[in-house]
Amino acid sequence: MRPFTYDRADAVPAALRAAGSGASSYLAGGTTLLDLMKLDVMRPERVVDITPLASRLGGIEAGPQGLRLGALAHMSAVADDAMVRRDYPVIAESLALAASGQLRNMATLGGNVLQRTRCNYFRDVSYAACNKRRPGSGCSALDGVTRLHAVLGTSEHCIASYPGDFAQALLALDGTVELEGPQGPRRIPFAELHRLPGDTPHLETTLAPGELITGFGVPPLPWARRSVYLKVRDRESYAFAVASAAVALDLDGGRVREARIALGGVATRPWRAREAEAVLAGQVLDEAAAQRAAEAAFRDARTHGDNDFKPELGRRTLVRALFQAQRLGA
Amino acid sequence: MTTQPTPGVVGRRSLLGSGAVSAAAPLLAVAPAAAQPTPILKETAVLDLVLRVNGQEHRLALDPRVTLLDALREELGLTGAKKGCDQGQCGACTVLLDGRRVLSCLTLAARAAGGAVTTIEGLATEDGGLHPMQQAFLDHDAFQCGYCTPGQIMSAIGCVQEGHAGTPDEIREAMSGNLCRCAAYPNIVAAIEQAKPQMAGRRTERG
Amino acid sequence: MPDTMIGQSPIRIDGRAKVTGAARYPSDVVVPNPAWAFLVTSAIALGRITAIEEAEARAVPGVLEILTHRNMRGTVRDAGFFAAGGYAAETIRPLEDDRIWHDGQIVAMVLADSFEAAREAAFRLRVDYAAVTPAAGFGSASATTEPAAKARQGHEDPQVGDADAAFAAAPVKIEADYATPTQHHNPIELFTTTALWEGGKLVIHEPSQYVTGIRHGVATQLGLDPQQVRVESHYVGGAFGSKGSLTQRTALVAIAARRLGRPVKLVPTRDQGFTIATYRAETRQHVKLAADRDGKLQALVHEGTEVTSRPDPYKVAGTQTTARMYDCPNVRTKVTLLHADRNTPGFMRSPPEVPYMFALESAVDELAVALKLDPIELRRRNDSKKEPIKGLPWSSRGLMRCYEAGAEAFGWSRRNPEPRSMREGDWLIGWGCASTIYPTHIGAATARVTLTPDGQARVQTAAHDIGTGAYTVIAQAAAEMLGLPLEKVQVALGDSDLPPAPVAGGSNTTASVCNVVAEACGQIRARLARAAVEDGPLKGRDPASLKLVSGELRAADGTAEALPEAMSRAANGAIEAYAEYLPQGMPKESMRKLYSGKQALGGGIAEGPLAMAAFGAEFVEVRVHARTAEVRVPRVLGAFAAGRIVNPRTARSQLMGGLIWGIGSALHEETEIDHGRARYVNDNILEYLIPVNADAPKVEVMLLEETDTGVNPLGIKGLGELGNVGTNAAIANAVFHATGRRARELPIRIESLL
Repeated sequence: MRPFTYDRADAVPAALRAAGSGASSYLAGGTTLLDLMKLDVMRPERVVDITPLASRLGGIEAGPQGLRLGALAHMSAVADDAMVRRDYPVIAESLALAASGQLRNMATLGGNVLQRTRCNYFRDVSYAACNKRRPGSGCSALDGVTRLHAVLGTSEHCIASYPGDFAQALLALDGTVELEGPQGPRRIPFAELHRLPGDTPHLETTLAPGELITGFGVPPLPWARRSVYLKVRDRESYAFAVASAAVALDLDGGRVREARIALGGVATRPWRAREAEAVLAGQVLDEAAAQRAAEAAFRDARTHGDNDFKPELGRRTLVRALFQAQRLGA
Repeated sequence: MTTQPTPGVVGRRSLLGSGAVSAAAPLLAVAPAAAQPTPILKETAVLDLVLRVNGQEHRLALDPRVTLLDALREELGLTGAKKGCDQGQCGACTVLLDGRRVLSCLTLAARAAGGAVTTIEGLATEDGGLHPMQQAFLDHDAFQCGYCTPGQIMSAIGCVQEGHAGTPDEIREAMSGNLCRCAAYPNIVAAIEQAKPQMAGRRTERG
Repeated sequence: MPDTMIGQSPIRIDGRAKVTGAARYPSDVVVPNPAWAFLVTSAIALGRITAIEEAEARAVPGVLEILTHRNMRGTVRDAGFFAAGGYAAETIRPLEDDRIWHDGQIVAMVLADSFEAAREAAFRLRVDYAAVTPAAGFGSASATTEPAAKARQGHEDPQVGDADAAFAAAPVKIEADYATPTQHHNPIELFTTTALWEGGKLVIHEPSQYVTGIRHGVATQLGLDPQQVRVESHYVGGAFGSKGSLTQRTALVAIAARRLGRPVKLVPTRDQGFTIATYRAETRQHVKLAADRDGKLQALVHEGTEVTSRPDPYKVAGTQTTARMYDCPNVRTKVTLLHADRNTPGFMRSPPEVPYMFALESAVDELAVALKLDPIELRRRNDSKKEPIKGLPWSSRGLMRCYEAGAEAFGWSRRNPEPRSMREGDWLIGWGCASTIYPTHIGAATARVTLTPDGQARVQTAAHDIGTGAYTVIAQAAAEMLGLPLEKVQVALGDSDLPPAPVAGGSNTTASVCNVVAEACGQIRARLARAAVEDGPLKGRDPASLKLVSGELRAADGTAEALPEAMSRAANGAIEAYAEYLPQGMPKESMRKLYSGKQALGGGIAEGPLAMAAFGAEFVEVRVHARTAEVRVPRVLGAFAAGRIVNPRTARSQLMGGLIWGIGSALHEETEIDHGRARYVNDNILEYLIPVNADAPKVEVMLLEETDTGVNPLGIKGLGELGNVGTNAAIANAVFHATGRRARELPIRIESLL
């Protein structure tokens, strides 16, 4: 871990000012930042501890305008919130199925959506080649162990998968991100927060330098009660998704009025499966329709050996999630 | 700047050598981090801070990089919290911070300053009586090598206090962040079920 | 107090220290003004170091010294391979030259005033390499093979009859290939070392399964008299074989402490632990199994190839066990070692049995399917009173009793043998079973027992409690033999200054140490008895007939003398006894080997005159999701016959832990290797998956009564490595039952079943 100066900010403007003065990182739960600093992957020279902002940025509010989640709300608080569990089960489940009890107590929503990939070639600085860590250095994963790597949204420069869960729920529900930055506040669709790796995998988000996530919005969506987060993993708990699916269904009898689908564990960024949604619109949700949707979702999948099974698993995961959502009472 | 002071952090002794802070930009998610060389500081910065642990205040002068875990173990001699991975993966370093279980290896000591920390050493009463959870772990042989045990016990107390000990399944899920390589898991669940009713009305968060 | 302490289930005597955080593990030791060490390990698996650029690292404030081969060459002497009469887990001498033998080899040790500075400097140290394409293991072009019989002196491949002819002639047969992966122990306590020099004496605090071995190994490496080295390891935060032999780090920390003139503390990272210690070698196995139509075995062929490092011929060689498991007249086995550019593998909980019994017990299940016979019935028809290779009689063999008791408790009779016949909603249900066995090892051991006039006993021996309950069972043995309540017995372990005891390996500790402690206590009793028959209430009795019971020396008719009186009659103060225990059949030089820290266990199933082992039957239920193929294990049951159980509470815990290890081994654990680079990839304890609490909802352990005085005077069989042997195959067999798919490669993951 490189040396850094430590500041605590008790107000957003102070945080922005502190962060503006060098290669800085905001510190909230610290579960990604400290981990990667110990591995020498992240090397901020200034760490701005924003936990004192939790009193203002830690809220969970629901109303006619939908749901608003403060960026400093802890994962555990949102996962346990009775209203979120009732009205937006996909959000509560995505958080409850992530990480561990301690990590959920520490990590905040803002940090959660920004967690970095688990690609071991990224996390281990002894690999010289990692375009995400050292732009232009190459990608060690391409001829390495790729079991947990992405099959969607990859490029020849990076196949690292996005490891989070909550992001898929937000994405499926058309969430938004609220930001504060040196240029003032702004709000963007959550779908615009993460970038595809392309030829700049080191640029993971569209955040401007110094910009701070202050909260998330979810528009009102009564049928979000019929939503699930299905996470397929190698052990019963405390593991990253091998494949996951966030699904919300608006049903008219047996027919799908609208489906929302986002996929995790299989893509380089939180992945909205709009092709699959389109396949389902207006259809009766039966095995054949679900299979067609799953086919559509993974039509462009590219595999790299160890993860050859992932499109098949991803399809099955989506089909299972669709039927699981179908069985729910809305 | 208005970022200081906050509770617990007393002040900062100085400390940056010339040119310590580069103007290179960015942030968090977009930091191309390892690409740039970082400057070597000529002196180590030192933070003066107060840690409140098990009801006692400790004034410490620490490198900002020191984690709560290392501060407890190396500065305060409280070696109950264990280092099993130093990366937030094993749960052996679990302590309560303001009554909530957290991983002390991923918590900067500076970040914990101003909060109330409870470690395994802070559980037993002054006359040496064990916390019901400690007694339950003994009764159910809920450990073997014992290395993960302080973390398990702190996590178990947190799990009960959080209301996540309703059913055995719920306990298993809530305790899955505490790896036990000896695999005492079923006995840990039994211990938590024994201690849970005895913890009613008792909340551990004195720091 | 019960009359007999052996067989009782007291709470662990070290339990309070463990639940209060008071137990000081070697990693917890507080030393004055320590310097901190941080390792730098190689980024390549094969080649040479071409340059080390230290300037940036040395510029970090607080950095004191950097050890590399440039300033260490010739410093550490050869300690020899542990399996060839030496001490080291790996014979590459630390920081000896520029050569890189494997990924993660130690290439430098940075020393600084603080942990933070040492870590920063370690990452700033630049090491350049000239890399050569390495061999990662199976399938690597430059890997080489040699028969174990050639690589290892004394290795014999068990065989009897003509297995190939019998196989060819048999009416029912199966033939299959099995594969098991690299696995790492990942004990939760890291591979730390703290060293300090007190006068001329080197004191090492290191979690260890063999303090005597480390003492002698380090003394050899540093050219010291072993008496100048003390190794302390009073508690061990998990070991499972990983802390049994000398690794490179220890000498380096000791040398650093000497050079700096202050204590040095090393806390390696979790990922470094994957390459600076040992691991379970991956294997590829070929099994042929044939029977007549009644299910009587006719032929077994078991061939295994195992990965090891370039320099060291570590062998797994579980064919020693599989060849003897069932009554089979024709057996042929062969073990081949495959040398690759890897660190040297080593012991990991039930080292030979876990991979090899997975193959055999899977094959037996496959044969049962081919025979349309219940797999338990097939095993019954091939149960035996003698092992088939040398015809050694089993000292006891509770296998079928375990199957009967286990099957009953599990409800095996309700199983529909048809694959895919049991289902709950979207989950396919499967039930499977397999045998488990662990050879009963025992070693030469010594102990000192002191009885003080106030009726307190102190037991001292350099044995280890690695979570097994050794403190408690040793105290129980002493309490029983001295007629004292348990709380009057103190036990000191884990210190090389104490009388030597064997490595905590091969599940020998309870048998070896309880027997020697019993012998020392017997000496004390004899001395008390000899004095008591001179005068007082027991005057004129036969001293051999007097027993220590409930705080008195008692004759058969109840006449007794209280311990304080008996003590004052026999001695002015304390009575101290030192005993040596040389198990029956072990050569005399075993005691000398023990005193020089060598590893020399006896017993087992191959040497005779008796074949000695603990047995068990394991049953599992699996659920496999019909769509997404995750495998979960809602319940496991193991029934075990393992001789005299000294403490059922700790025995159950070990067996339960073993069964859960088996779940991990079958379904989760695999160290993934980047084949082109020969590097471990998932080298952390989040992606190297081990079972978590939610993975083991119901685990049942049944302990069957078994009296076996053939194994040793106290009738004790080791059981710490018994639980996790059968589970792999039991789960694979259950997965077959659930899905109709035979998984012959571990771990069984989603992609195996899609």
